[in-house]
Amino acid sequence: MEKNKKNFKIVGKPIVRQDGVTKVTGKAKFAADYNFPNELQSVMLRIHSSHALIKSIDFSCIENDSNVAAIIDHRDIPGDKKVGVIKKDQPIFCSEKVVTPGDVIAMIVGKSERELIKIKDKIKIEYEDLPVLTDPSKSLETDAPLIHPEYKSNLIVHYPLRKGNVDSGFSNSEHILEQTYTTQNIEHAYIEPECVTAIPQIDNSIKIIGSIQNPHTTRRIVAAVLGISLSQVVIIQADLGGSFGGKDDTMNILSARAAVAAIKTGRPVKIKYSREDSILESYKRHPYVMHYKVGYNSSGKITTMKIDVTADGGAYASMSPFVTWRTVVQATGPYEIENVWTDVKAVYTNNPYTGAMRGFGSPQPIFAQESIMDEIAERLGMNPVEIREINALKQNSVTSTGQRLENHEVTLTKAMKTAIEKTGFVDKWNNYRNQSLDKSNFILSGEDLILSEDKFISRQDKLRRGIGLSISLRGCSLGAEGIDAAAALVAVQPDGSVYLLSGLAENGQGLRTTYSIVAAEILGIATDKIIYLEQDTSRIPDSGPTVASRATLMGGGAFRNASEIIQKRITNLLLNEWQLDKEAELIFEDSMIKHIASNKSIEFTEACSFASQRGINLSVVGWYKGPDVSWDEEIGQGSAYFTYVYGCHVAEVSVNINTGEIYINKITAVHDAGKIINILGAQGQVYGGSTQGAGYAVWEEIDKHNGFIREMNFDQYLIPTSKDIKSIDAIFIEGEDDYGAWGAKSLGEPTLELTAGAIANAVKNATGKRYFNLPLNLEEILLNRKLRPEDMKRGSE
Amino acid sequence: MKITFKLNGENVSIEVESYKRLIDMLREDFELTGTKEGCSIGECGACTVLMDGKAVNSCLVLAAQIDGAEILTIEGVNQGNNLSDLQRNFLTHGAVQCGFCTPGMILSSLALLNENPNPTVEEIEESIAGNLCRCTGYKQIIEAVKATAEMSNQKLRNQSA
Amino acid sequence: MIPELKILRPEKLIDLLDLIAPADGATRILAGGTDIIPGFHINSKRFSSIRKLVETVKIPEMHEIKEEDDSVIIGSSVTFSELINSELINTYFPLLVKAVSKIGSVQIRNRATIAGNFVNNAPCADSVPPLLVYNAEVEIANKNSTRKVLLNDFLEKPYKTQLKDSECVVRIILKKIDKTFTGDFYKLGRRRGVAISRITLAVILKKENNIIKDIRIASGAVTPIGMRFTELENDLIGKEITPELLVSSSQKLGKNVLDVTGLRWSSVYKVPVIQRTFYNLLENICLD
Ligand code: FES
Ligand code: FES
Repeated sequence: MEKNKKNFKIVGKPIVRQDGVTKVTGKAKFAADYNFPNELQSVMLRIHSSHALIKSIDFSCIENDSNVAAIIDHRDIPGDKKVGVIKKDQPIFCSEKVVTPGDVIAMIVGKSERELIKIKDKIKIEYEDLPVLTDPSKSLETDAPLIHPEYKSNLIVHYPLRKGNVDSGFSNSEHILEQTYTTQNIEHAYIEPECVTAIPQIDNSIKIIGSIQNPHTTRRIVAAVLGISLSQVVIIQADLGGSFGGKDDTMNILSARAAVAAIKTGRPVKIKYSREDSILESYKRHPYVMHYKVGYNSSGKITTMKIDVTADGGAYASMSPFVTWRTVVQATGPYEIENVWTDVKAVYTNNPYTGAMRGFGSPQPIFAQESIMDEIAERLGMNPVEIREINALKQNSVTSTGQRLENHEVTLTKAMKTAIEKTGFVDKWNNYRNQSLDKSNFILSGEDLILSEDKFISRQDKLRRGIGLSISLRGCSLGAEGIDAAAALVAVQPDGSVYLLSGLAENGQGLRTTYSIVAAEILGIATDKIIYLEQDTSRIPDSGPTVASRATLMGGGAFRNASEIIQKRITNLLLNEWQLDKEAELIFEDSMIKHIASNKSIEFTEACSFASQRGINLSVVGWYKGPDVSWDEEIGQGSAYFTYVYGCHVAEVSVNINTGEIYINKITAVHDAGKIINILGAQGQVYGGSTQGAGYAVWEEIDKHNGFIREMNFDQYLIPTSKDIKSIDAIFIEGEDDYGAWGAKSLGEPTLELTAGAIANAVKNATGKRYFNLPLNLEEILLNRKLRPEDMKRGSE
Repeated sequence: MKITFKLNGENVSIEVESYKRLIDMLREDFELTGTKEGCSIGECGACTVLMDGKAVNSCLVLAAQIDGAEILTIEGVNQGNNLSDLQRNFLTHGAVQCGFCTPGMILSSLALLNENPNPTVEEIEESIAGNLCRCTGYKQIIEAVKATAEMSNQKLRNQSA
Repeated sequence: MIPELKILRPEKLIDLLDLIAPADGATRILAGGTDIIPGFHINSKRFSSIRKLVETVKIPEMHEIKEEDDSVIIGSSVTFSELINSELINTYFPLLVKAVSKIGSVQIRNRATIAGNFVNNAPCADSVPPLLVYNAEVEIANKNSTRKVLLNDFLEKPYKTQLKDSECVVRIILKKIDKTFTGDFYKLGRRRGVAISRITLAVILKKENNIIKDIRIASGAVTPIGMRFTELENDLIGKEITPELLVSSSQKLGKNVLDVTGLRWSSVYKVPVIQRTFYNLLENICLD
């Protein structure tokens, strides 16, 4: 079998998604669309506090209410009362303490949600407020109150990375630049809020159907909480209305609550969240504070970087240890730097907790590192392209973790060149820059509220155009973060139709279609002959989570493996039947199997029925395991990921310097995601990811006051609409790689991580002013800070 | 209270609770679960249906308010067993990812095309500005609507030729 | 949560007025519902006493836009979409069209009504500034009588108007204005598509030989309620349009806004920006 096939029949073509028809007709079933006879509804019980000791709870006034089927709290949990991927710090129901406003103390279930809401407030809870920690830097002070006293510290994790010698690096550098950058909390904002139903089965097992990102993880958590074996828990993934990393921990916990209640009542129990519930309780993207110190020479060569990053982990550890691990690997960006000293810490606060979100620890440092690269260029009189060309990782370069990039094509500069040629970057950048030089009169002092004459800007001068770019490398899949393998079932039926089932769950991005294409390509059939089975944990091995943009790479590899085994079995059968040489090659295409030289051929369907008569098994579970990676925790050195992808975004913006509004005119996104399997799906990833990235740059922020979120719904939390980004251009360069299915790698996250950095650089190009804090909202642009209602009370005005 | 209205082309009458919104009645009483709920306050558009031909958020209309009206939901958009051109274009242009926003998007686009067979890109953007999509970045949706307008204009030209 | 409700649908205005006459605090008029229904969802105190809703949908005079000799009458339950599509409104009151086309989404504009926008007197009611510069009058009826007041007087303070529980806004009356007026409306939101306004401004102006003959200025969102700036208007009448005048009047507007709002947390942004946007608005009106 050729390793890197070139003439694809289906791969790379626009293929309509498998589940499309049900989605355009309203027939697709999302979690809230399932109803079961006798089903109970539920409401959560919370208190209005970010940090409190629970003293007593009195349920007596509702206990006998006919609307209440059961009250569920920590006492009802037979197994693990606390869960978490690394640290088991998150209670299913809080019993002693509440550490963030989303925390749930108990759940009431009953026939009617309305009636439950009406009586919920009758429950009397006595609690004592504790000091609230909202600033991660304060959490690490020695006298800070402990959020989880059992851990003796508010530090969740600390990753060091040490390469070369930064002290001599700095003393030998001709210039040094130091800057601090901050980023905000971000909501996943999947349009479908969380929903799950647990259905008790007669054999004492439990079935769960919900908006679940990673069914196998959910199964593990539910089994642990119920204290039963994995095989007694069956998780079915409903059609998922978006996830972006967000329907993991939250859904595991909701599933566990529903399961406990279902067992207690013997009836199906549904938990269906409103948008407000969802924003209140679900985890967010980490806010980062990033301090960069960079040593460089007049030639433009960067020699040394010292980076200190603090991530706000919020109330629970969740995925913070994995998210911040990616940060430590990628904090220096796609640059080859001799001396590096990086510390990344995640810490507990009483803020909403933070975990996995598309990007996973990379959008933050990319904003910082791409901003500082432009600043260095500026100081040296270079343009953004020149400084990057000098420092960018190339074939055989060594990364900051000491890994030599040799086993795949390093396409970083190719991606950048493609983007700058396509956009005419350098000319535009120079023109816009000359325009904006020396015109900083738009900035407000924050003191003189009545403007002096020179602060008025005429209508023809108020719009400033700018262009900016950013580049990245991204480690594919889990890396040294976890065990990396995936399973795939391909079952060819006697009539030539095919069932597929993946151990990796569809998240709405179109995985099923991608996998169908891989199988169809190898078996030489059309994708409409392929039926994708519902995700069900009882039928396929755990393949790890659909995270880290690993699904195409790992799952694609597994489907290629299974399909090739089947292809081999059919080939052997036919070679034997046609009395051909054992080494002869058969062509599988257009639903036919042919041997060219002997002019022999057979329809695929016939071959399948023949195989079944001969007792040949055409159901195969394929397996793909990533190559081993190595990692030295102490110094952060090793081959962190087995392969990487590269990309470049160019953003073109207009800034209204009278008001601080930013308009996104165009994003040009160039990605090397390896081989593209489905061009429609790949473009969709780029458009969707860049749009989320633009939201991150300009509009989106979960702002908190004392741990309480202000933006509880989409009227306040502003994600981009159809009118906010004028145009997006998606360009793919397909670098060579041996891994996965013909070198098809990762795309979902790279599309998001680059956008904010490019926009920030474009805004600088437009206004002449550098911004250090996301999001670049109206006040940030004009006043260089955020405005918050409590500023007044603190007397800072 | 009892209300009578036209639902996807059929006359129906139902006894409905006063506190139910149109979306609740559609999903619970008629089991038409294609209409989705994403925010409950009129911001996301996932619950969009057509009321007397106009796009409305069914989370902002009480069931009682539609007495005598004509309602079209996603379940009524198909032409018999066939997909409409708009639905098919959503598929072929990659306008569907997770699909949660899709029913609302299709109904908003349909209302636009019924009123304005030749929309500009700006008009399409405006017509779906109240339909949030977190997956697609809207571009392929806009292309699908544009393509549908072009197809129907082509059909008209063919008829008159 | 939406309470158990009694929903009534009178067919005549007088029946509607009868139904609200008891003024029991539990009865409210329901037009589009785009404010009340999400208000129930977030358990807003403003709506917590409601137990009875009286719909306006069947009452013809509340839904029509009609022309009279010197005025245009807009039924209080006319939706934003109907206003946008009305030739009459486009001809005589273009700023109103401009303002309401920027409210919410198509779905909202298909339901939300003109009176619904201002009866709650929320600061961010975008139809208010243009209605104020057009000197809109509001016709209010109760069971026994009808009265007319200027919208400017009707809006008393944030979330409070002259309207009594037993009363209903039936129509809005706009006097056609002199064709020589030109004007513009400005809205600043945080996002291009569907955003709550941070600042709105409406200005109409009549000039002759570069002299301001008449000017009317109104703001929304940035002031506690939508309001006119009559002092500034009077000050400008008779003045020659010069670059200096544009600057100084913008500064004056800023001072006026600051006087009304006092120093708030958002003042450091909003007060300077309203001066700049007003300045650009004046450029649009005066220099073209
Ligand atoms: S659910 Fe109705 S607009 Fe969001
Ligand atoms: S396709 Fe997922 S929200 Fe639009």
